[in-house]
Amino acid sequence: MMMLRDLKRESKFLAKQKPLWALLAILLMLSSFAVYTGVNEIRQQSQTLERLLQKDRLDREDVLSQQTDFGSAAYYSFHLTYAPPQKIAFAAMGQRDVFPWKHRVRMLALEGQIYETDADNPELTFLGKFDFAFLVSVLLPLLIILLLHNIASSEREMGRFDLLLVTAKKQRNFVIPRAFIIICCAALVLILPFITGALVLGTDLTSSLTIGLIALGHLVFWAFLTLFAGHYGNKRFFSSARIASGLIGIWLLLTVILPVASDTIIKQSVTSPNGGEIVLTQREAVNDAWDLPVESTWRDFLVSYPQWSGSTNMQSLFEWKWYFAFQQVGDQKAAALSKRYRNSIVRKDHYASLVSWLSPPMLSQRLMEKIAHTNVSAALAYEDNVRKYHTQLREFYYPLLFNDTTFTEKTLTQVPEFSPLDIQD
Amino acid sequence: MGVIWLIAKDEWRYWARTKLALVVIIIGLVLTVASVVVNSIQMSHAKHERDHLQQSADKQFLEQPDRHPHRMVHYGHYVFRTPSPLSIVDPGVDAYTGTAIFLEGHQQNSAMFADQRQSSGLTRFSSLSPAFLLQILMPLLIIMVGYGAITREKEQGTIAILITQGVGEYKLLIGKFLALLTLGSMLLLPLLFASIYAIFVGESALLSGIFVLSYLLYVAIWSALVVWVSSITAKGQSSFAISIGLWIAFSILIPRVASSTAATMMPSAGKLESDFAVLDELRKLGDGHIAIDPAFAQLQANLLTQYNAESIDELPINFRGAVAEYSENQLTEVLNQFAETRMHEELSQAKIARLFGWLSPTLSIRSASMALAGTHLETHHRFLREAEALRFEFVQSLNRVHREKLSYEADINRYKDKSTAQNARVDSSNWQVLSAFEFKSQKPQQRLVQSFLYFLQLLFCLGFAFCLIGLTARRLLK
Repeated sequence: MMMLRDLKRESKFLAKQKPLWALLAILLMLSSFAVYTGVNEIRQQSQTLERLLQKDRLDREDVLSQQTDFGSAAYYSFHLTYAPPQKIAFAAMGQRDVFPWKHRVRMLALEGQIYETDADNPELTFLGKFDFAFLVSVLLPLLIILLLHNIASSEREMGRFDLLLVTAKKQRNFVIPRAFIIICCAALVLILPFITGALVLGTDLTSSLTIGLIALGHLVFWAFLTLFAGHYGNKRFFSSARIASGLIGIWLLLTVILPVASDTIIKQSVTSPNGGEIVLTQREAVNDAWDLPVESTWRDFLVSYPQWSGSTNMQSLFEWKWYFAFQQVGDQKAAALSKRYRNSIVRKDHYASLVSWLSPPMLSQRLMEKIAHTNVSAALAYEDNVRKYHTQLREFYYPLLFNDTTFTEKTLTQVPEFSPLDIQD
Repeated sequence: MGVIWLIAKDEWRYWARTKLALVVIIIGLVLTVASVVVNSIQMSHAKHERDHLQQSADKQFLEQPDRHPHRMVHYGHYVFRTPSPLSIVDPGVDAYTGTAIFLEGHQQNSAMFADQRQSSGLTRFSSLSPAFLLQILMPLLIIMVGYGAITREKEQGTIAILITQGVGEYKLLIGKFLALLTLGSMLLLPLLFASIYAIFVGESALLSGIFVLSYLLYVAIWSALVVWVSSITAKGQSSFAISIGLWIAFSILIPRVASSTAATMMPSAGKLESDFAVLDELRKLGDGHIAIDPAFAQLQANLLTQYNAESIDELPINFRGAVAEYSENQLTEVLNQFAETRMHEELSQAKIARLFGWLSPTLSIRSASMALAGTHLETHHRFLREAEALRFEFVQSLNRVHREKLSYEADINRYKDKSTAQNARVDSSNWQVLSAFEFKSQKPQQRLVQSFLYFLQLLFCLGFAFCLIGLTARRLLK
């Protein structure tokens, strides 16, 4: 049993270890910086959204007030769609810098619009964000290795080992309390900034707790691995550096080589249409429609909306209902490709989730992103939400266009509003 | 000189005896060779795919039937960015920027289909590129082999013998440095071959040479740092721990801190937000589809005086075409102004991040390598600008066709019936106005100039490391 006496003695000893203090201070600084930039990012994103929402509303009101028919109203008015950041996302910004979380769409063919991105600065994205999830999944293992790899072996190298064994009777009498104290301190300096960030933003308890536990779990995993390697190496008289080299080799394997190798294999095994093909197909379909006999457009359109089969006669060579019908047909023609494109993303993500079970760093990162709703699934859910909203827009305007409803500005006040996904399930 | 080589040789002999260096070199070489091969295949695949898409987009545009010219303005065109030859070593921002842009009248679209959106998401920290391996992992290998270079001599007590026998402290340190430098250089062999291959597929030889040289500088910096740390510590374990600490700070921490700092210091509005400002400006200019928009009254008056005509029907040109051309011109000016502001913002952010290269050799080699390979932000901006130039050129050419080759009367009656619609078309031979798009990264001289600062950063880091060695050499025995 670990005795209080042992703990006391070892903490007195550890308190004099300058490298230990330095490493803990570094960990505290890193954790604070990660939380600070994360909180800052969430605030910036929320403020951006507030500004965008306001501008979007004013802009649409302005545009709609100048229209005199429903077709032009649908053509000229844009609608902001967005996925607001979850507060807890401060800890794991995930894929939000690669996948878009805000779009302005209008009632034209969606396939031509939805791949537009308002992405962040690519060079900064390439360098990567320093968020809490990155700290926990990539850096923390290295710091833990530095903190714990030589607990036993350094005593041997200093020549104090035998002496300690005599006084402490059993090796674990000094190794275990020492490791326990270090792990506790590391956990504390890691988590304190995170708790502060969570309190500042007022995140909900469950997700904060889960992320905290994942971080601690990952810490404990590496601590045990390091202690085990230290114990094993010490018995075989390996030098501290050799023990650490081995541990860093494991880190390299789990954090770099395994993910990169599986990514390459996943890329090879999941075929995906090139995104360029989708937009090219959509454009051809939409543009050909101008020259095709109108009947062909109607035939394709009525497959999805048979209820308008009685309203397809046209007074002029250009009518809005026909225009929007071939926009719809453009989407329909690109639908198969678009679905394959999307499915390939889902499948790659699925394989990645399987691979991550082999790599604790990847696993902890993916879990945190999942809880923060910043992973690929969240990005796809947002895309689905945009599609759903686009369909609502169509279904709002189609009756007005096909029934030749008399234009009133009052009708336009009923244009469906975009509502972001409600994540608090 | 002889003594220095003797020491370097002796270090190699020690590594050969412990098999340590051998294992490290083999691991390093296997990884880099694998990454050069796989990355080359992937990049050349991407190049072919994008070239192919570009050709089919060109062909489709030219094969469009007779049409109203403004329809072609909206039909638009796609351009694809082909990767540069050296991107087989350093793909840089390629995976994070869209690689295709849809060009059409009246707007500037963003680049679409960034590869990262298509990846498994496993490679956000690490990547397969040789650049990643050489920039991040190679220092680690140098540390694993070299941490004990001096501490070993101290622990075995041989250092006192060496120095009392007349091997100067400097010579000892330089010898150890040379041993590590030659070891690191061996890991650069795959890079050398890849760069030679790049010369064959069109890269400038001078630039490729400097590209390899910059990595050699990087190896030198780490070799010097590792020898220095080993010389200031008494025990192998502390030398190892400190070197690893430096590696974490330089290679993993500072680049990310740089990125986060840049984003925090210079938050950028994002395209969506500046689009609103663009819209505000554009509304003032009037809608070019509606020739009777009061915004074009001045143009109308000018044209009437110029051609000495009473009304727009009498003009020898198509007034609607003239309006389209005029308004596209004004609109593009506004769009470009905003696009330039945005690119300027992005570049300033990137430059803040790159300033951290003075603190971290990894960041400076990263900036230098991307600039030389032509895969940095500036290249992407160049792509955006060239795409925009092409867009403006073909849209305006089509508008001129609209103005010159389609009568105003036929134009305004285009929706009346089928025969008037037929009359409001021009011959498809007019679509030849589109020029072929072939994206090339900046000229070698330009890239050399752009990488100069980062080269200086590398030299500074190397100089600094040497100063450190010089300062401790005197106290080696204390």
